[in-house]
Amino acid sequence: MRYSVSEWTKSGSPWVWLNAGAVAICVIMVVGLLGLIAVRGLAHFWPADVIQATYTQGEQSRRIMGEMVQQEMVPAEQLRGAGVEVPEGVEAMRRDLLKVGNRDFGSADFVWAMDHLITDKTYPEMIMAAERLEWGNFYGYLREIRENGETVTRYEGHAKSDEYLNLWATFQDRLDRVLEIREQILEIEKHKIGSINYELERLRLKERSLELKQSTDAQAYADIEARRAELNADYEVLQQDLIDLYTQINRDSFVAEIADGREVEISLAKVVRAFLPNNMGTGDKLMHYAAKLWEFLSDEPREANTEGGIFPAIFGTVMMVILMSVLVTPFGVIAAVYLREYAKQGFVTRLIRIAVNNLAGVPSIVYGVFGLGFFVYFLGGTIDDLFFPEAKPAPTFGTGGLMWASITLALLTVPVVIVATEEGLARIPRSVREGSLALGATKFETLMKVVLPMASPAMMTGVILAIARAAGEVAPLMLVGVVKLAPSLPLDGNYPFLHLDQKFMHLGFHIYDVGFQSPNVEAARPLVYATAFLLVVVIALLNFSAIAIRNHLREKYKALEM
Amino acid sequence: MTSEAKTHAIDIASMQRGESNLNLADEQITLQVQDLRLSYGDKEALHGINMDIPKNRVTAFIGPSGCGKSTLLRCFNRMNDLVDSCNITGKILLDGDNIYDRTVNVADLRRRVGMVFQKPNPFPKSIYENVAYGLRIQGINKKRVIDETVEWALRSAALWDEVKDRLHESALGMSGGQQQRLVIARTVAVKPEVLLLDEPASALDPISTLKIEELIHELKDNFTIVIVTHNMQQAARVSDYTAFMYMGDLIEFGATDALFTKPEKKQTEDYITGRYG
Repeated sequence: MRYSVSEWTKSGSPWVWLNAGAVAICVIMVVGLLGLIAVRGLAHFWPADVIQATYTQGEQSRRIMGEMVQQEMVPAEQLRGAGVEVPEGVEAMRRDLLKVGNRDFGSADFVWAMDHLITDKTYPEMIMAAERLEWGNFYGYLREIRENGETVTRYEGHAKSDEYLNLWATFQDRLDRVLEIREQILEIEKHKIGSINYELERLRLKERSLELKQSTDAQAYADIEARRAELNADYEVLQQDLIDLYTQINRDSFVAEIADGREVEISLAKVVRAFLPNNMGTGDKLMHYAAKLWEFLSDEPREANTEGGIFPAIFGTVMMVILMSVLVTPFGVIAAVYLREYAKQGFVTRLIRIAVNNLAGVPSIVYGVFGLGFFVYFLGGTIDDLFFPEAKPAPTFGTGGLMWASITLALLTVPVVIVATEEGLARIPRSVREGSLALGATKFETLMKVVLPMASPAMMTGVILAIARAAGEVAPLMLVGVVKLAPSLPLDGNYPFLHLDQKFMHLGFHIYDVGFQSPNVEAARPLVYATAFLLVVVIALLNFSAIAIRNHLREKYKALEM
Repeated sequence: MTSEAKTHAIDIASMQRGESNLNLADEQITLQVQDLRLSYGDKEALHGINMDIPKNRVTAFIGPSGCGKSTLLRCFNRMNDLVDSCNITGKILLDGDNIYDRTVNVADLRRRVGMVFQKPNPFPKSIYENVAYGLRIQGINKKRVIDETVEWALRSAALWDEVKDRLHESALGMSGGQQQRLVIARTVAVKPEVLLLDEPASALDPISTLKIEELIHELKDNFTIVIVTHNMQQAARVSDYTAFMYMGDLIEFGATDALFTKPEKKQTEDYITGRYG
């Protein structure tokens, strides 16, 4: 049976196909994007095998060691232009990107090498890889352990042997000790000394404010002085502890042979983690992977954000979004209730609605500029003048911070909440309102007890949209409080616990910073993917939790379907 | 002053009719409607209604769709206030006081004049909370008082036995008939003087309708009931007095038996015999 084209068009199936195709393309693009950033980002934490090979350039040949990061084909012409010999008839040649590490002993930690010039590729089991606090990764053969500069054990040779493994075991034991000491140092520096410093600063401010008030209360000054002496004494003790710990941590060092044959000495205090990648089984690698991933999620960044974790950025993002939701919900809901329930419908309300809808379309950077000008400089400056004169000239609220960032984003997202809530209110059946009024409830009581609870799923929809928009926003935040590296989290153990005036880190800005402001592009690239993936995951989680709340509310108030 | 004159006028009119269907001499009057005119914008929907609603009796309003019977009912608890374009003149006296007086608190009025709507409109709360709603609005928070009142109200609405084991389940899980009785219980719980029923059974099946009608019969001892219905058999079954309205006018008001057996007006007769409407 044959159909004519017009019949086929009339049957509607072309439109079905068109729609289905559009949906399919969208799904493929979303899944593809997520897949790409997930694979590129998550692969970064896998302990790659370390290759050892000979690289010959002209007359010279040298040994190289490193991780294979990337391979690509380069057009012959481009290579000839760069002075590389390319045989006739070859159109393109393969080029490898190797991560050779050892930035402190060579020049760069990433090297491009022509694949055909690399020979004798092997994967020696005893090559060690070490992550360090400074200078990036280290690759080489472990040779010697030293204690206070004197040799403890030493082993020559490259093959896997019991002696080598014994040396490695000693190394690991001493590394564990170093890690333990580092933990203690961190505890003292960050928490104990941190809170002493915090309290000293508060004392200074207290004293300054007494001076500003020209107080002559000698007792108060004396109290402050006494407390300060106490804190200083505590500080001295901690300082002494720290000195001891630093002496201990600097006791051990190791000597290793690097790719060019030199032997170098490195302090164990600089090592974060060391492993023999080529000697690890799949199980070991999985463990290593999990540990790295956990470090990424839970640790602070090192080395200009190219190493370590991004916990402060995750924390900052979530914190800011939660604060934003807490601020935006009441404002949006109150505005919507007034517009829908109390305001006399007419020209003015129409005008306001149009304005609200247009507000949603204003570019976010404009909000950033407004936030900086109005909130930070004007409001923040005023607050500083009124409440924190003792801290001046250093600004307290007169500079970007968590609160201003949240408020700016709340302003940015309030139209979404207003529109969603208004729609929700409009959908509450008249009969239910009348039922409440007929029982002697006032309009306000009806709103509070019946209408608003029933409209709560719609409000949550608004909040979900607001979260989705706010969590992904970066541009305005750069102006009102996000920084590349925040010294401490906005929530900690020091009174008043939540520091609204503090600057914070944000995943979106972190991606920008790591990806485009980093001195070490190659090292940063996988982290950009990983951070981007994490940002998507965090936004998805925030959204899912909001959606879960909404579904729960919907279940509770499903009278609307009547 | 004028109100007395008007009441007086009606009395004279009924006397002049001689054998009137309406004899309220033995009844106490709860609601008095005096020259009530209501218009939506330019369109007048009620053209000067005068009538007395007797206490502890069931008064039914019948009439074709759009005749104004629901509008009139909604005047008794000022539900029409919610309509922006609605404009009302005249008076309605509840126990002698004009409910349209400026000093009247509308919420208080609605507590005294409860209303049940055509479609069951329970709140999306538990059965218990639905009934307790009006009490909580009044600021009653003592659990014992609320418990007792909820049980009493549910018993009054002949619902207690069906729901006593699931008081804290959602009211939305009940059948339509149960929901409507719940709404009645909810209204009864605040102990109003007058109960307005706006076609309470029109969305229900015959068995539920029967239950509602029995319930109306029970409730009449404690409440003055005004019911709007499309169903003339229902009006005949449940009411003591019936008012027939047509095109915004009160055509005839009288004892139910009399109105259905020997209507005074031609229009009434036409309607109840099914010639129009």
